[in-house]
Amino acid sequence: MTKLRTFPGGVHPDEYKELAGKAAIRRIKAPETVRVALCQHLGAPSKPVVAKGDKVVRGQEIGSQNGYVSLPTHSPVTGTVAGLEEMPLPHRRSGLAVVIETDSEDGPPPFEPWPDFTSRTPAEIIERIRLAGICGMGGASFPTHVKLSPPDGKRIDTLILNGAECEPYLTADHRLMVERTADVVLGMKIMAFVLGVERCAVGIEENKPDAIAALSGAGVDVEVLKVKYPQGSEKQLIKAITGREVPVGGLPLDIGVVVPNVGTAAAVAQAVRDGEPSIRRIVTVSGAGVRAPGNFDAAVGTPFHDLIAEAGGYAGDVCRLLSGGPMMGIAQFTDAVPVTKGTSGIVALTTAEARKLTEGPCIKCGRCVDACPMKLLPCLIAANAEKEKWDRAEELGALNCMACGTCSFVCPSDRFLVHYIKRAQDAIRAAKRSKEA
Amino acid sequence: MAETRTFQVSMSPHFGSPHSTRRVMFDVVIALLPALLGAVWLFGLRGALLPVVVGVAAAVAAEFVCLRLMKRDTSAALDGSAIVTGILLAYNLPPGVPWWLPVLGSAFAIVVGKQVFGGLGSNLVNPALLGRAFLMASFPVLMTAGWSAPFEWRNAAAGFETHGMPASVVSEMPVADAVTGATPLRAWKDSFGMESHDGQAVREGLTDPGTLMNLLTGRRGGCLGETSIILLLLGALYLFVRKVLDWRIPFSYLGSVALFGWILGGPGFFDGSAVFSVLSGGVILGGFFMATDMVTTPVTHAGRLVFGLGAGLLTVVIRRWGGYPEGCSYSILLMNLATPLIDRFTKPRMFGEVRKHA
Repeated sequence: MTKLRTFPGGVHPDEYKELAGKAAIRRIKAPETVRVALCQHLGAPSKPVVAKGDKVVRGQEIGSQNGYVSLPTHSPVTGTVAGLEEMPLPHRRSGLAVVIETDSEDGPPPFEPWPDFTSRTPAEIIERIRLAGICGMGGASFPTHVKLSPPDGKRIDTLILNGAECEPYLTADHRLMVERTADVVLGMKIMAFVLGVERCAVGIEENKPDAIAALSGAGVDVEVLKVKYPQGSEKQLIKAITGREVPVGGLPLDIGVVVPNVGTAAAVAQAVRDGEPSIRRIVTVSGAGVRAPGNFDAAVGTPFHDLIAEAGGYAGDVCRLLSGGPMMGIAQFTDAVPVTKGTSGIVALTTAEARKLTEGPCIKCGRCVDACPMKLLPCLIAANAEKEKWDRAEELGALNCMACGTCSFVCPSDRFLVHYIKRAQDAIRAAKRSKEA
Repeated sequence: MAETRTFQVSMSPHFGSPHSTRRVMFDVVIALLPALLGAVWLFGLRGALLPVVVGVAAAVAAEFVCLRLMKRDTSAALDGSAIVTGILLAYNLPPGVPWWLPVLGSAFAIVVGKQVFGGLGSNLVNPALLGRAFLMASFPVLMTAGWSAPFEWRNAAAGFETHGMPASVVSEMPVADAVTGATPLRAWKDSFGMESHDGQAVREGLTDPGTLMNLLTGRRGGCLGETSIILLLLGALYLFVRKVLDWRIPFSYLGSVALFGWILGGPGFFDGSAVFSVLSGGVILGGFFMATDMVTTPVTHAGRLVFGLGAGLLTVVIRRWGGYPEGCSYSILLMNLATPLIDRFTKPRMFGEVRKHA
């Protein structure tokens, strides 16, 4: 066995992967009413192109792309538009969603299937990926066609698929790699073809031996990673596999690397081979707060409470409902929010599991310094942010924080370090904007 | 359609590790206890246990009163940090001091050393050491004279009336020191005021294997908590196992004391004793339990090495040329004050940071 690859720093929270890790992906029917957000991706929200009373078919564009860093949005069902609604969304406070009454989920492929992608040009394939509305499925939801179009002069030599899935509880990528191996492999080949890269690899944490075996068996170069949070962070993953460091303020493409999620690869394969737009995704529903944790193939626009019901309903004293995992996931006010393309998991935490909401004073023990994967001094940035010394926080590299939560996790005083650092980031960016204006 | 429920919202992460400040503090208390047993063996209940008990009680009481006056959560008085301060203050007193000395020192440590700055986490210097400095300045005679010899309390000092030193060494010391302040460090310091031949003989007596063995086993004159070196190391080992202690400060500090003790500690260059420097005085207690106080020391890895190195150098300089035989506590206090500056100049290279070459 070769040495496990990893990065310096980080922590190893309890994994809780056993809750949903063995549960096969179960496809669930779209609900009677879907609420499809028009801002599921990073960048400008789609512009609505349907109105109340319109009939739509499965895969039809209901929101059009609005700028380069933007995407079209498609209807996951055939049905009737009941209206547009401003509603709470899992990844932001609120946004516009198209409400559709479902008639059926059947229908022909919305795009022409291309069984042999090699007969297409890279430009044609990127266009298909754009039209299919594909964004990163790992969480950040960055439009994939932009990621696959490096600016002139930037040479990409390595494609790394992210199958680390380092967040506790989440197993959606794990099940995808095991059950839909062919989709992941095809998606990787398509993206490698588009980028013209020499090297392709999949990074998978050691705790998913069946996924490692499945992809190795399919002839893919699998890099086995140490189980450590945040191993699935793009920069840390690149460091672990290539030894290269993304420069401060830079992007992976600055050092010749592109890192899509395995879920994105599968979505690309389905768009190219089957002509399917991005209208469904795999969602892990887990945590001590649900009866029967599992992995569900659900239409975007399905409300969280429907998925909770599919997982047997709430169990025990649920105090927090998360979109995503417990380290970076976003606490939801209501379970009426709909699944988006970026919803990798729904985790219901009970009072016993959830982090306390009282903090003590910083004793400068330095645990956060040892653990920070970006090699920052979280306690000092937070101390300056608390006093609103934004310039000092910036000198300490506050903008370089990716809010992975490792520092708050290890803090013996349960300090809200991420909160303070994010406040500093907002203030620093606001000051920069007003300076430019 | 299922019924809609609402939940608590909060910033990520939503998970925490089981570490707590309380656990850290009580681990330190546990780690200090073996040395207390050693102190009682050497100096008796009255000589060692009483000062510790009243020191801790006074520290907790002072903390409680301050928190009460400031309308803060008074349960923080029992978070363990005041207990640690009380123990450390008492450990830095000569055995058998009057009961009110640790009471006064602990109260000063908590009130002036900690609470006026805002309580736990906000103090600039180690409270226990500030308390000791206050007592040194206010009651110099009580703090430096009248060291009881090991086992004196049970009239069994046989062989240790000389405080673990060869009789020839004590007989060379100035009468006042030999009677009241006979610690090995005082003898070492006095040796520089003697005829060079006599001074040399004293230093040789202090570094002979028998004396060094007495230093190691604590059978020598010294502060009540600093002499049981083996038991202090046992406590430090516990803290390492519990991952409460980072190796950088203790090792750089003790290494620095040994190195500079050898280079600068003797009459000329390179004729001090590294072993004597580390085993005498309070550097083991200081290096593992006081220079490592998290609140008042750097958070950066490089900064911790700088801190230890600087404190070690200052300890040796004070021992050799300063007004006191021991420089451990003042060296740590001075470096505490430099801590924010050290942190500022030892910021680690960020992930992906490319340092510009000047």
